Amino acid sequence: MPKQIRMPKLSDTMEEGRLIAWRKKVGDPVKRGEVLAEIETDKADMEFEAYTEGVVAQIVVDAGATVPVGTLIAVLRLPGESEEAVAAAISAPAAKERAPSPPAPAVTPAQKPVAPSTAQAARPPSAPSQPSRPAPPTPPRVELPPAPSGPRVAATFAPEDDRIRATPRARRIAEEKSIDLSEVTGTGAGGAILAGDLEAYLAQLETQPPDADGVRATPLALRMAGERGTDLEAVKGSGPGGRITKSDLLAHWKREHAHSKEREAVMYRGTLQLSQKRKALIRNMVRSKAEAPHFYIEMDVSTEALKELRDQVNRDAGEKRPRLTYTHLMLKAAALALERHPQVNATYRPEENDIAIYDAINIGLAVDVQDELVAPTVKDCQGRNVWQLAEEANSLIQRARMRKLQPADYADGTFTISNLGMFGVDRFYAIVTPPQSSILSVAAISERPIVRDGRIEIGSITTLGLSVDHRVVDGVRAAQFLAEIKRLIEQPRELAQDGNALAQ
Amino acid sequence: METRSPSNSLDIRRLGRVPYADALALQETLRERLASGEGGETVLLLEHPDVITFGRGAAGANALASDTELRQRGYDVFRVSRGGDATWHGPGQLVGYPILDLRRHGSDVHRYLRDLEGVLIAALADFGIEARRREGFAGVWLDARRKIASIGVGVRAWRTLHGFALNVDCDLARFGAIVPCGLADVEMVSMASALERAVDLDEVAASVEDQLRKVFD
Repeated sequence: MPKQIRMPKLSDTMEEGRLIAWRKKVGDPVKRGEVLAEIETDKADMEFEAYTEGVVAQIVVDAGATVPVGTLIAVLRLPGESEEAVAAAISAPAAKERAPSPPAPAVTPAQKPVAPSTAQAARPPSAPSQPSRPAPPTPPRVELPPAPSGPRVAATFAPEDDRIRATPRARRIAEEKSIDLSEVTGTGAGGAILAGDLEAYLAQLETQPPDADGVRATPLALRMAGERGTDLEAVKGSGPGGRITKSDLLAHWKREHAHSKEREAVMYRGTLQLSQKRKALIRNMVRSKAEAPHFYIEMDVSTEALKELRDQVNRDAGEKRPRLTYTHLMLKAAALALERHPQVNATYRPEENDIAIYDAINIGLAVDVQDELVAPTVKDCQGRNVWQLAEEANSLIQRARMRKLQPADYADGTFTISNLGMFGVDRFYAIVTPPQSSILSVAAISERPIVRDGRIEIGSITTLGLSVDHRVVDGVRAAQFLAEIKRLIEQPRELAQDGNALAQ
Repeated sequence: METRSPSNSLDIRRLGRVPYADALALQETLRERLASGEGGETVLLLEHPDVITFGRGAAGANALASDTELRQRGYDVFRVSRGGDATWHGPGQLVGYPILDLRRHGSDVHRYLRDLEGVLIAALADFGIEARRREGFAGVWLDARRKIASIGVGVRAWRTLHGFALNVDCDLARFGAIVPCGLADVEMVSMASALERAVDLDEVAASVEDQLRKVFD
């Protein structure tokens, strides 16, 4: 009797294990204590040793598969056993092993596998492979790999304990005539298959009209193939008269699945699951590009005065006020320009078919946090000085980095600033965030030759890009708005005034 | 830094900062000695320099960059025989490698994982942090999304390798190169970020050591 190796129960609470890798292949000799396979359950990775000397005769469960505890995963041929004896011992149960054994002959697609009641039948006398604890009472089940296409048929591998009952004579006949016993209905005691049942089965096959394409298959295989949309011409038959049996079909599906996995492995390194934020971003960006007709303008802006201002106010401010950065000053400049061009701080409303001008100026700052894009919004920028804006922006960005933003923190934006300057980007055009009308793209500041009064000088320049929803803002308005930002940056006094700049 | 107490059968060693490869080699040696009866059960408590390791369960996609790119960004990269997916180790993270014979602790892999979680939950409670297990996701969590410690073990003939990593006061941005443990929607947090103050690694190690003795000694 060959040794059956089953998925070990490494814990009282273990229900299934993943076969990470086989360390032995079919034909390899195995000594006691040698590692046969690696198995993972939960976050534990266990080397699984052989407790019997032998030769690997069959590997039933491939690496990568997750199977319930107690599932047959391999068969060892013991010393002194002939290969023929093993083959005979394996073939009947192993053929069954690969075959679904539905409680009734019908296999219903998408139906949860139901362990047949016979699964509770006594184990064969050969001891379970895991020595340290008794074999689990759970009826072992294996789900088939999903079909590459078509509805999923959850079939059940019947483990050997659940062997089909048949008389020895019936078994011999089945082997001679290549009959898959799992397809035969037994009429003997306890449903055992008798020789007469095989004759009835064969007679039934004879009455079966051949398939239109000349493909021959057993009725069960035909039905299963139909449910899953499998083309039987591609399947090789090993049953009576070369008919395709259930086992042939299952082997075919398994091969197809392996091939599709191989192809996938070549094309992709892996897949990433989408977070809720990512899903929202995908929806928004597609909606924006599909619904909002974008146009783009850009202006080169000299940043020397801005740098001077920043350095000076940071020197003068001391400890009381937050240190200003270019981002803070850009934020203030955008807020002032939006106050002066309220038509940009607006949205197109398809339901009302109008353009609505926002009351508040809420500016979103696009921030990348561990490969996730978020745009927390600085609310009510109108009438607040640059230090107040800076404080709020700092707090939002810090919370974004710690992933502590609440939904309200990135809601209700009316305009957005995206800054890729720190990555050396010279110019770019971000996609407008719906339902806003425009987004400012801030690029890197670099030293560039500029022409001033007919002479070439070197100046610090950045290129500001503005992406605009043409439904809301026209070219001239966009140009005036961007020119206002340019003016505020090149003559930046206003940006660092204490009170409400507009009121002054 | 090494502290030993002959009266305790569980030998807990605090090693300071140790490169990943050296710590792995030491674990292997200790496990061999445990198997041959030359040595007893040991726990190594240490820190690693910046390193990313992939367990055998790792899907390639959970590194957001190739090994070469990761190395260029200052990470060392290893693939190891522990359960679990990708993780990061580095300064400010307390790493524990118990080399135990699970037959002395119930011969139950899941129980061992739960015991490790229990040790860390109790140690965190010493610092006023309420942490918990999350059903189906090994590790220690503050809630369903925020994870403070990772667990991944390797077992050969019931003898353990690898262990746990508790974020004490580390640069959480360094997790940014991977999807920690293959869970995309998980936020890695540290004791320092949870308490919003600096936390001393040695103090935490002392607390973890106490709890380890309670559970495994």
